[in-house]
Amino acid sequence: MSHQEDNHHEDHHKPPKKKGIRHHARKVHGRVTKYLTERDTLFATIWVFIFIFALSQIPLNLGIMNPIKLGLKDFDFNDITYSKLGKKADTILDKRITLVNIGYEDREALSLMIDKVATYGPKVMALDALFDEEREPHKDSMLNATFIKHKNLVVARQLLLIGKEGDTVISDAGYFKTGTQAHVNLFTDSVSSVRYIEPFFIDHAGKAYNAFSTEIIKLYNPEAYQKLLKKKGKKLIINYSRKVDNYWVLEFDNIMNDGYDSSLIKDRIILFGYINTNKADLTDKFFTPMNERFAGKSIPDMNGVVIHANIISMALDKSYIKKVPLWGTLLLAFVVCWLHMSFFVHYYLESHIWFHLAAKIAQVLSGIFFIWLGIYLYDRYRLKVDMKLTIVTILMAVDVIYFYEAWAVWMHKKFNYKTVFKPHHH
Amino acid sequence: MKKLSIFISLLAVALSVNAQSNFLLYSFKGNVLVVENGTESKAKVGKMLNSNATVKVAAGGAATLICNEAAMFTITKAGTYALNKFGDSCKVSSSSVSANYVKYVWASMTKDAGSPGSNRKAFMNTVGAVRRSVYPVYIDPKLDTVNYTGGEFPLSWTCYCETKTYNFALFEKEDLTKPFYTAVISKQKIPITDFSAKLTPGKSYFWTCSMPETDENEDLKVLNYVSKEAFEEVLNKFKSQGLSFEAPAEQAYRTGFMLEDAHFLAEAYQYYSKAVSLDKENVLYLSTLMSFKKDYEIK
Repeated sequence: MSHQEDNHHEDHHKPPKKKGIRHHARKVHGRVTKYLTERDTLFATIWVFIFIFALSQIPLNLGIMNPIKLGLKDFDFNDITYSKLGKKADTILDKRITLVNIGYEDREALSLMIDKVATYGPKVMALDALFDEEREPHKDSMLNATFIKHKNLVVARQLLLIGKEGDTVISDAGYFKTGTQAHVNLFTDSVSSVRYIEPFFIDHAGKAYNAFSTEIIKLYNPEAYQKLLKKKGKKLIINYSRKVDNYWVLEFDNIMNDGYDSSLIKDRIILFGYINTNKADLTDKFFTPMNERFAGKSIPDMNGVVIHANIISMALDKSYIKKVPLWGTLLLAFVVCWLHMSFFVHYYLESHIWFHLAAKIAQVLSGIFFIWLGIYLYDRYRLKVDMKLTIVTILMAVDVIYFYEAWAVWMHKKFNYKTVFKPHHH
Repeated sequence: MKKLSIFISLLAVALSVNAQSNFLLYSFKGNVLVVENGTESKAKVGKMLNSNATVKVAAGGAATLICNEAAMFTITKAGTYALNKFGDSCKVSSSSVSANYVKYVWASMTKDAGSPGSNRKAFMNTVGAVRRSVYPVYIDPKLDTVNYTGGEFPLSWTCYCETKTYNFALFEKEDLTKPFYTAVISKQKIPITDFSAKLTPGKSYFWTCSMPETDENEDLKVLNYVSKEAFEEVLNKFKSQGLSFEAPAEQAYRTGFMLEDAHFLAEAYQYYSKAVSLDKENVLYLSTLMSFKKDYEIK
């Protein structure tokens, strides 16, 4: 007994033990998992998804009254990687592709330029320009002869989609009907970012039309084309890797005055197109994920020919982006929402005074974390995970708890539904 | 083992010393020349240059190079550049996307967004007018050609800008690619006596003034360093054109006027001053001198 008293005496004089990280981790773990397996947590999570589904099914398009929704229409978290996080900033020049700026040169000059380039032995040449009507006869004749002469030249054309479903196609080659032609239609409206490419457009009769970039890949690298062929009928996310500065760009004067090293042409893909880095010149310019501003008002940032070059680079590198299917996105959102709901329910029931503060902090930290996770997977593994749904569920979970409490209490009174929520517990 | 580790260390040091950067000429504008192994040639897009090469950029020209296929930089100022001096431009940021994300989130969360009312400088710098491309440093056409033999006289300019310093450059007529004299000036003028010791009598020079960290001013002005003998010849000719009953002050004023007309500005200043000192009551002489001093920034 005296021995025990001595021990007790010693303990009394010992300084209190510092609470370690393990202790705090256990505490946080307890807050997340205590209500994890409760039926209420699961059902509240399901209610979050019911709400999201119900809101998305409202037949009225309320976007016009919602500037945030309008602003986020073309928003992708991964765009931040290009504009703010330096992704691809140090990408080396693509040694397989050289761009030639056609500027505002006329058809005669284009003919001379293509013929001159052809003498240095490019593997494929492609002209990203449409010619709608006839001009001076002798210049038209020169360009037409150039199109016929070079079998490795791909010339742009436009597909005109008609019919109710837009699956009937008229191929509009413009004034010139000669040479190998491929369509330059981009899969986007005129104000959204160009994110997707349909390498093969398939009409109602099942006929496939090779896109401009597809036709170039076919001529340049049959193996890469075979790989692309396996994606027939699919929309591909363009893996942007280079801005215009990451491609060799030759000007008309460079070509005509031999002001370049011939290695920039030999055995390469030569893309003739309009290039202008002047921000005020919006001719043939589009929004892309590489835009300096990832949200809000901006100006188009990339010329069409550079977009084609990026598609070709992606296909040659076989660096396609894999997209997590819808079920994967839903599953991730459900699991994350469930964990958060468990955490929120804990605070709601046991420390209600801290509920809103804890919930807001958790929402901010989780938002930052899941955006990073999406960016990391995209950057490291070229895996595109849509984190928007996950983040929306975290944001909605707090509000749904209030609804769920009322619903659970009503169910309890009416059907003796067992719930951890008690009427007016706080 | 110890010897082996020392050998490896020495080898590593030797390799790092010998590690040479490669430069690719990505694009160029204007007259750009490349000197490699003592041979000068016209620049060609796509040409690979080693770090011992030299690039010559003429006034108004520019050259963009890529170091080690990763770091791009542009030379916009006229001059001769040895590529081995561009070691710093070869460095590439090695931060990962994740590290940049953390920095970006932290910077965004801790940065004050500001408001139009509290930060007028940031919000009032957007102009609602078309801008014609005129170089901000303006050199008066009166200084288009200056004939100079000696004495105090400044070359001046004006600038509607906020810069605190200006880059003055003096070129020899035969080589406009590289200035043979440069100076960073805090005032909007430079006395010719600051660099007259470097001038050779009988030779012509071009000069200009640019803002730092901008394209070089393409507006070149002429400075003729006239020999004493040639000037005496001109002066005697002017003096001989006077009337026989001309007073000394009148002669000095007339000579000053004729020298100004002949672009001998420093010398004209001396004669205008002489005219005023000889006839202090003459309002015309005095007002002409004052105007001259004001026009040419003589204090």
